[in-house]
Amino acid sequence: MDEFERALASLLPRLRRFAHGLTRDRADADDLTQRTAERALKARGQWQPGTNFDAWAYRIMRNLWIDTVRGRQRRDKWIAPEEEGTDVGIAGDAETQAELHFLMRAMDRLPDEQREAVALVMIEGLSYADAAEVLDVPAGTLTSRLVRGRQALVKMLGGN
Amino acid sequence: MAEQIDEAMVIAWLDGELDEVTAARVAATVASDPALRTMADAHRAIRARFATAFGPIADEPVTMPTPASAQVVSLAAVRAARAKEVAAPPARRWVVPGAIAASLLVGVLVGHGAFAPNGVGDRAGALALAAPLARALDNQLAGAPGGVRVALSFRDHGGAYCRSFTATHLSGIACRGGDRWQLRYAAPGNADTGDYRMAGGDAQQAEMVAALIAGEPLDAAAEREARERGWR
Repeated sequence: MDEFERALASLLPRLRRFAHGLTRDRADADDLTQRTAERALKARGQWQPGTNFDAWAYRIMRNLWIDTVRGRQRRDKWIAPEEEGTDVGIAGDAETQAELHFLMRAMDRLPDEQREAVALVMIEGLSYADAAEVLDVPAGTLTSRLVRGRQALVKMLGGN
Repeated sequence: MAEQIDEAMVIAWLDGELDEVTAARVAATVASDPALRTMADAHRAIRARFATAFGPIADEPVTMPTPASAQVVSLAAVRAARAKEVAAPPARRWVVPGAIAASLLVGVLVGHGAFAPNGVGDRAGALALAAPLARALDNQLAGAPGGVRVALSFRDHGGAYCRSFTATHLSGIACRGGDRWQLRYAAPGNADTGDYRMAGGDAQQAEMVAALIAGEPLDAAAEREARERGWR
């Protein structure tokens, strides 16, 4: 493994967590993670050393997901919706899993823009600057999406 | 302190996004203002809940795809193969990307005489869709029910209209070429099992759409307009 592959390999678990926030579905998240890794390997020539690798990889995942959703929105009109992903392969006890499922359903109810901002900052812990870079939006746009998303979550879930 | 502290500022404070001086000011204000404190506690609690539920996911190992599997749908490789006019028929699915002339046809395997009684041959129009399929692509709007269902309409990089579809025994992508619908991608359908998603097939088809599409898919209005113009 060279340096690029090592960087990708060590980021993959976090990318997969981001995928859970984005897709709100475990099977989709695993699939998206693999596709992101493959795409990143193929596109490695486009990454410039010295620039933010994490932001670059998160952006690949986010863009792949947008393409996936776009394709599905058209397809779902005529194809039976996919079976809900199975719960295998996720660590944690039943209660943790139920909580994760519950929070993913809450994420479902956010508009896409707010969801990705929340997933990057609140779940992934990216700085506002990095998240804005991933999403390719100005800092102010990122902040307002993030704040609206967080407000909506507080409303949905209560404060405690 | 006259400064107004709003929810965005409280959240930025919780996220560690404020400089030291501002953070200290917000902390002091929040501590002395019950309403702000309640707001901050609510956001802190939500963040903690997500951290607890999502955190463990990042502790699980993830397998790196092998470089070999990353090459499976390498368009560069496909293009290189096409440039050399190499016939390379994979076992079940085949891919003919890009603007393509019949003379450049890659060997194809489409069973059951979907196009011609003797299968697809190396002749002009070999990949032109048969009349019932072509009629469906001429007339049907995306999402409409029927034996042939169109998923997506779009333009390719050459400006030709393309449509992805699923029929009973065949699913694929066809683009206008020489006044006909020419297949650009096809996979055998799986109507017997009622599974139109054809495990794996959709992903490849989506990859093909991604490779072919220029801009966005047509919306309903643009699609109707294209139909009225005969997809020219």
